[in-house]
Amino acid sequence: MGALDGRVACVTGGTRGIGLAIAKAFLDEGAKVVINGRDPVKAAASIASLNAGDNVHFIAGDVKQREDCEAIVNGTVGHFGRIDILVANAGGGSNHAPVAQLTDESMQDALVWNFWHTFWTMRCALNHMIPQGWGRIMSVSSVEGKVGKPGIATYVASKHAINGLTKSAAREVGTLGITVNALCPGAIETDVMMAEGPGAAESMGLTYQGLLDMFAQESAIKRLNEAEDVAMVAVLLASDAGAGITGSMISIDGGTSPY
Amino acid sequence: MQGDTNMGNKLEGKVACITGGTRSIGRAMADAFLAEGASVVVNGRDAAKGQQCLTEMNGGDRAAFFAGDASKQSTVEGLIDFTIEKYGKLDICCLNSGGVLNTAPVAAMTDEEWLLEIDWNLNHVFWGMRRALQHMIPREAGRIIVTSSVEGKLGKPGIPGYATTKHAVNGLVKAAAQEVGTLGITVNSILPGIIETDIVRETGPDSAIAMGVGTYDALIDMFCQESSIKRPNKVEEVAAVAVMLASDAARNITGCMFPVDGGTMPY
Repeated sequence: MGALDGRVACVTGGTRGIGLAIAKAFLDEGAKVVINGRDPVKAAASIASLNAGDNVHFIAGDVKQREDCEAIVNGTVGHFGRIDILVANAGGGSNHAPVAQLTDESMQDALVWNFWHTFWTMRCALNHMIPQGWGRIMSVSSVEGKVGKPGIATYVASKHAINGLTKSAAREVGTLGITVNALCPGAIETDVMMAEGPGAAESMGLTYQGLLDMFAQESAIKRLNEAEDVAMVAVLLASDAGAGITGSMISIDGGTSPY
Repeated sequence: MQGDTNMGNKLEGKVACITGGTRSIGRAMADAFLAEGASVVVNGRDAAKGQQCLTEMNGGDRAAFFAGDASKQSTVEGLIDFTIEKYGKLDICCLNSGGVLNTAPVAAMTDEEWLLEIDWNLNHVFWGMRRALQHMIPREAGRIIVTSSVEGKLGKPGIPGYATTKHAVNGLVKAAAQEVGTLGITVNSILPGIIETDIVRETGPDSAIAMGVGTYDALIDMFCQESSIKRPNKVEEVAAVAVMLASDAARNITGCMFPVDGGTMPY
């Protein structure tokens, strides 16, 4: 018996890092899971690693496109017959710079990748969940959704925006059996972090290792978080026991955020 | 949850103690911890109720009761010492007891009520945390879980002592979490919204008058309306979070103010 027996989940950016850990944890608790990613070749290895047979299904798509976001959510319903749990997990930033030098393109990219993707998938999922009277929506926000750092304003602003969207949506559907929450992890050395971290570090005047050290030193545990930390909380929020938790910005950051 | 299908092994071999553990939130934590394989010492004022609680929990050798008033230093420290003596260690310390007795607006608050709430809600947490940490730090392992409240972030008229002490325990949790963050010990607060616990049922009618809403039902309704789910929270919802925070897997969550408030708090 698992905490998510019979549930159907959809995880954007589910082929790597945090998303893959969440998909694995959901599968372990009995859910059927759609994972999304841009690259079917990379996804094949991820799906093989999950070893979950027909309980996992891949939908290719770029979360920076609205049509793809809607196809991922609607495709989940098409394949497994319903959607109970949405995890809007994909996200990141590019071409980081201090605000005075920040390009429109960099800000737009982060807003589309983090915020608009969350909005597009959330809106689409709510239209399935409201009629069925049950749902769990989670976005993978960040400690940077609560606090701010110099040099990564695109990331900070888009994650704060996700938290605002989460609070409003939670109020709208609170009596309909649907919860909407934001998970706020501290720094985790995911593939996206390894790809984008050096650029972010440069914008912050640091080396990549210096960036990781800074995040660790700001925490109480003096080390980075892990993808499995986020997956554990996602399982709780997705379960029946999570029915009383909504509109929350849950810190999974080793004691970094003060609130 | 004992006896149902949620039995697991997330806390196999762990030892826990819970202040105010015979009823309501504390009891739900105790039941959930037992179901996950832990040994649990529950505390409460009334020895007869304690024995009844042990009978109901049906935990055999894995459950024990320690009598005493959680607003007294001797009780809180005694509970921790008793737990370590009985089970050989303390892995999980839940500082859960708390409430108000004869609350009033600040202008009408008595010194007696104020000091009681400070002892019950704040000092009890400090005394328990200090004693527990002295045991946990050398072992470089432990979980401290404080039952705070949505009022640890917000404030309502008529319950100034409760809002003050719950804010204070959150500060204590944040400071302690930073102190022991590299020692394998986590310190977290759970912040429930309104729950119709025994203590709320007992003191709620008087609190409703102090808060200016008149009746107990109006008090409950006020809290519900402030939430997104428009209902009280449930003790099981708090217990599920406690189990997670108590587990080994939660080693990287500390200093966290974990809301279980149905979407009441804005932050």
